[in-house]
Amino acid sequence: MTVQSHEVVLRTAGLVKRFGPITAVDGLDLEVRRGEVVGLLGPNGAGKSTTIGMVLGLITPTAGSAEVLGRDVRIRREDALAGVGAMLEVTSFYPYLSGRDNLTAIALLRGGGALTRVDPLLTRLGLAQRGGSKFRTYSLGMRQRLGIASTLLPNPALVILDEPANGLDPAGQREIRELIRELASENRGVLLASHLLYEVEQVCDRVLVIKKGKLIASGTLAEVTRGGSSYFEIVVDDRTRAMEILRSLGVKEIRETPTGLDVVAEPARGAEFNRALASRGLYASAIIPRASSLEDVFMELTEAETPSASPAS
Amino acid sequence: MLLIIVLAAVGIYLLVYLSVQAQLQAVRSGAIPTQPGAEQAMSQTLRELRPDRVQGFGVQIVSGLGSVMLIVFGASHVGTEFGWGTFRTLLAHGAGRGALLVAKVLSLALYAALFVFLGVVAAILGSSVATAMAGADASGLDLETIANAAARAYYTLLPYMALATVIAVWSRSAGAGIAAGLVVYFTEGLVAQLLVSFNRDYANVVNYGLSRNVGAVIRGGAGTTTLPDPSAVALPDQGQAVLLLGIYTVVFLVLAFWRLRTRDVTVGG
Repeated sequence: MTVQSHEVVLRTAGLVKRFGPITAVDGLDLEVRRGEVVGLLGPNGAGKSTTIGMVLGLITPTAGSAEVLGRDVRIRREDALAGVGAMLEVTSFYPYLSGRDNLTAIALLRGGGALTRVDPLLTRLGLAQRGGSKFRTYSLGMRQRLGIASTLLPNPALVILDEPANGLDPAGQREIRELIRELASENRGVLLASHLLYEVEQVCDRVLVIKKGKLIASGTLAEVTRGGSSYFEIVVDDRTRAMEILRSLGVKEIRETPTGLDVVAEPARGAEFNRALASRGLYASAIIPRASSLEDVFMELTEAETPSASPAS
Repeated sequence: MLLIIVLAAVGIYLLVYLSVQAQLQAVRSGAIPTQPGAEQAMSQTLRELRPDRVQGFGVQIVSGLGSVMLIVFGASHVGTEFGWGTFRTLLAHGAGRGALLVAKVLSLALYAALFVFLGVVAAILGSSVATAMAGADASGLDLETIANAAARAYYTLLPYMALATVIAVWSRSAGAGIAAGLVVYFTEGLVAQLLVSFNRDYANVVNYGLSRNVGAVIRGGAGTTTLPDPSAVALPDQGQAVLLLGIYTVVFLVLAFWRLRTRDVTVGG
């Protein structure tokens, strides 16, 4: 059984990147520890890929630092990346080489025992049958799998995955979620950038939400979703009358849905709503208390104006 | 690609031999009118095709073809890494930028050496075939002199290889590297030749370009061609040519290295 340690494998401090007048990343502090999966969320252009680029030494920060396993990426890049497996958003390999030969080329670059892991990784990622086929013949899903296989060649302490489920079918997405959890259980730290909030919800221990390069929320899933509003899903036929009744009780946020209403209110008010509707001859088929999902919170956070203050939590 | 040089060198020999031989026979039989001295010039051209002149005619073919091939191959070798996005992938897997460029340049230098070797072998082969077809004396092959000329030809390929590399790195594109490299190769040589033909004093300027120094290094080898060559007028001296080509090569590579080291690698490279 793997002994879990909680060593910090990735730490950024005050990371800033400006491209001319545009600030892509603005004072980002983040940490990833061994054994945890950290989700990096944000809308398009939020700075996720730029952050990953700086962590991998592909992009030079304007200010701040990124340390992998205690080594500053700007000063000791090659040492730092020896313990990192990274899959970038666009998976690129030599099109004229087979999947196996592409992994072999990277394994030769990595040194150590990476060569011995090529075939086991092809098998683990379901590519054993097509390992000998040229990369250019691979489907999008197979390319993603090969990209993930390449991240595991160096037996990394930190795995960085940028949109790993792109192009995968639902079964493939589930396999990737399981694989990510396995990686964490093998005492690796995982930084996962994804647009698939369901995926993040399923696998991440903590999430970081960034917008316009700033960290606007971070914490465990429970901590982040607690910041979102709770609501009731009320299934009722006469939505107009139901809305009037609920407004008379002081409810301000009501959204119409195909089956009834979504009513933003404290969880304790369910009985009050039921009583008020019934006393006026309206009988709800269901009144279901709901907590905000990560998607709800994400939408609330990213659609709101970015706070000018320093990053939240 | 290497097969192309072999076929091209042999093909050029045969093409020149067959066309000159046909004209010579036509002149001798009176089928076409002739200018004074033309028959002698054609005989001299056929003489250049013999094995004892490979260090002149043959090596010039290899140098000319080699420059073009090295521009195309050099730009492709470097530029496709950006186009495919593999440069970014390799860097993300811990490869050093400098190490990648050194590996690229070394492999290009090895390719150029192989290219020159095969080209010269093909030139010897083409020369032997053309001489056998003419039924002329095929003796006098001087391998030492040919090796010396081949080494000079190899040296002249390096600045073009470096030029293609720096353009490909700068533009992150194989196509741009090839296009710009070929434009420089052809126009710089042509402009230099035209200027010197207008006025020899222009040599003081154009002799600092690539083509004139390449010409000086190639022609400075033992056993240069004896064919009349207007582009050989007022070429720089050997020492300057060797030094300048070396400086060009180093400057191009340093620029490529600097650009690669300082660039932010976003999508593609």
